[in-house]
Amino acid sequence: MWSSEQRSRLAVEHQILQREGFSQFSVYHHSADDTYYASGVATSNSGSMYSLYMPIPSGFPTARPPLYITKPSPLLRADGSRISDSGVSHAMHTLSPHENGWVQICHWRDARWHAGIVLQKVFLKAHVWIEAYEQHLATGHSLADFVRTMADVA
Amino acid sequence: MTTSDPNQRQLIREAMQAIATRKPGRSKLVYDKTKRTIVAVAEGAQIAQALNITADDADMFGVLTLSSEWIQEQWPALTRDGVVPLSFSSWDDGDALTQSELCVHASASVVYGELLLDAQPTQPQLVAIILEKTDGTTSDQGVFVSPDGATYRGRVQSAQPQGASKTDVVFADVEPQLALRRSSILETTILKNKTALCVGLGTGGAHVALELAKCGVGRFLLVDCDRLSVGNVVRHPGGISQVGRAKVNVVRDLIMEKNPKAHVEVRAIALDQDNRDAIANLVVVADIVICGTDNRQSKLLLNELCVAANAPALYGGAFRRAYGGQILRVRPKHSPCHQCFVATMPDEASDVEVSSETDAGEIAYSDRPVAVEPGLSLDVLPIANMLAKLALLELVADSSSTLNTLRGDFDAPWYLWLNRPEPGTQYADWPPLSESSDEMTIHRWYGIYFDRDDACPVCGDFVGSLAAHYGLDPAQLPSLEDGE
Ligand SMILES: [Zn+2]
Repeated sequence: MWSSEQRSRLAVEHQILQREGFSQFSVYHHSADDTYYASGVATSNSGSMYSLYMPIPSGFPTARPPLYITKPSPLLRADGSRISDSGVSHAMHTLSPHENGWVQICHWRDARWHAGIVLQKVFLKAHVWIEAYEQHLATGHSLADFVRTMADVA
Repeated sequence: MTTSDPNQRQLIREAMQAIATRKPGRSKLVYDKTKRTIVAVAEGAQIAQALNITADDADMFGVLTLSSEWIQEQWPALTRDGVVPLSFSSWDDGDALTQSELCVHASASVVYGELLLDAQPTQPQLVAIILEKTDGTTSDQGVFVSPDGATYRGRVQSAQPQGASKTDVVFADVEPQLALRRSSILETTILKNKTALCVGLGTGGAHVALELAKCGVGRFLLVDCDRLSVGNVVRHPGGISQVGRAKVNVVRDLIMEKNPKAHVEVRAIALDQDNRDAIANLVVVADIVICGTDNRQSKLLLNELCVAANAPALYGGAFRRAYGGQILRVRPKHSPCHQCFVATMPDEASDVEVSSETDAGEIAYSDRPVAVEPGLSLDVLPIANMLAKLALLELVADSSSTLNTLRGDFDAPWYLWLNRPEPGTQYADWPPLSESSDEMTIHRWYGIYFDRDDACPVCGDFVGSLAAHYGLDPAQLPSLEDGE
């Protein structure tokens, strides 16, 4: 059961997406079973389209929402193999795939996620992941070559 | 669908690699709010309705920490062979990889790798860290300085599936980095060569040892015959994963976590007459002796050995259920010793915490067992903190430390602290904190004077004073008869 704070947070998240140039994404309420999800279609710089699906976990925003690519499916590597076959892959920056075989993008690890991160930032990371993925397709290099990391400030 | 502008694709690649390597490139990435996609633009270009993609947005992985000292030791092999093997503790599902040489407690998950200099990775399943020349400043955690003075950054190249792939490489120069944090207050060079003998490593004794390690005390002798039990865990710095281990080993490892360069010797023996010689040998090399045992016999034995060796000592103890506690500081021949204390204030000296079955056994009558009533860690730590500070003052006594200005303040031999006005004690009627400025209250330290006993059997001339009392000349006493 969702708290009123959660419900209003999700309503605000939707407004941020609409006002900040991310109107290709929306937050939806599925009233039949009272669940929430966010979804939409991201377009890469080259014009390719990727359907994104983010089921909102009951512990949101303390719990990190997973973000899946539902189309194209299966999503393939440069060598033609399925990304989802490798499960958690640091080379591809993916976490455990959905039971439907959708690739889960590693946006924030659980160890770094906190309730102050808005969904707009998650979708922005998804766009970055998609650009890195297309560079991987073009060059065959690991996604890791295109995505940097940052150390905690000691 | 793929209406790709080849120029855009190239610019995006360069911009992404610039972010990945943290070097400015000729293009940067922005999210164009109007096009609702990512575009690459010239560095410095201003785009209306756009979000800059920062390194943070592309941040997905953690940090890999290497030991600078270890690399310096390996430098001849590294320059000769181009590669040295190494391993890491992997924490938080690979979010942090910490070189095994830095770990006192290793993670259950170990990742293997190789450090490379002008060489290619040899095995794809290893985490490969490539050292690359840089002109970075030496104060940067991401920069390693080789023995010949050149500066390098580390780059993680390939990775095994469960390892980190694109990861920040940090060099831990442990000793200088720790010394830097302490140096403004403490004379770390002095403390590094000081030896603390810690006898009794229960909650209080273990805490004192750890605080001294954090201050930079470099040498420890640890004595305790107990093992850490499950019941200890609520109070002791050692945790549930250490249960069953000897407390001396648990505390040694905790010290090493805080001060990796410390020299720690352990003796899992009891402080009793059977081990008198062994403990006497430790006392003579100690600069300070810290007694955290709870029974009088052990304290008096240690007192005797310390006075004989002229070693300054601190005796800490909590009262029953830690309603308060006390510290006695003994500078042999200059201040009262523990024997003087026991003789002068027998009630105060005997009100001890009963925190173990052994302690209970020591003071129980066979027909009237004494309950084990340990206090809270919260109530023991004020006493342990104070004791650690007094120990530190003794260790810097012969230096011009800024801490020495405190020596005039901490001039009393005996210190008293009350956590609560325990019913049935002389402190039961103490007024509340808010009502008192002159009267004694709880949660304040009291330094209390009392005189050394010139006739103390340990630190004074007991025989001489007895002789004087009876009008005898100690040098002229008749010899004793042979017994049957
Ligand atoms: Zn004495």
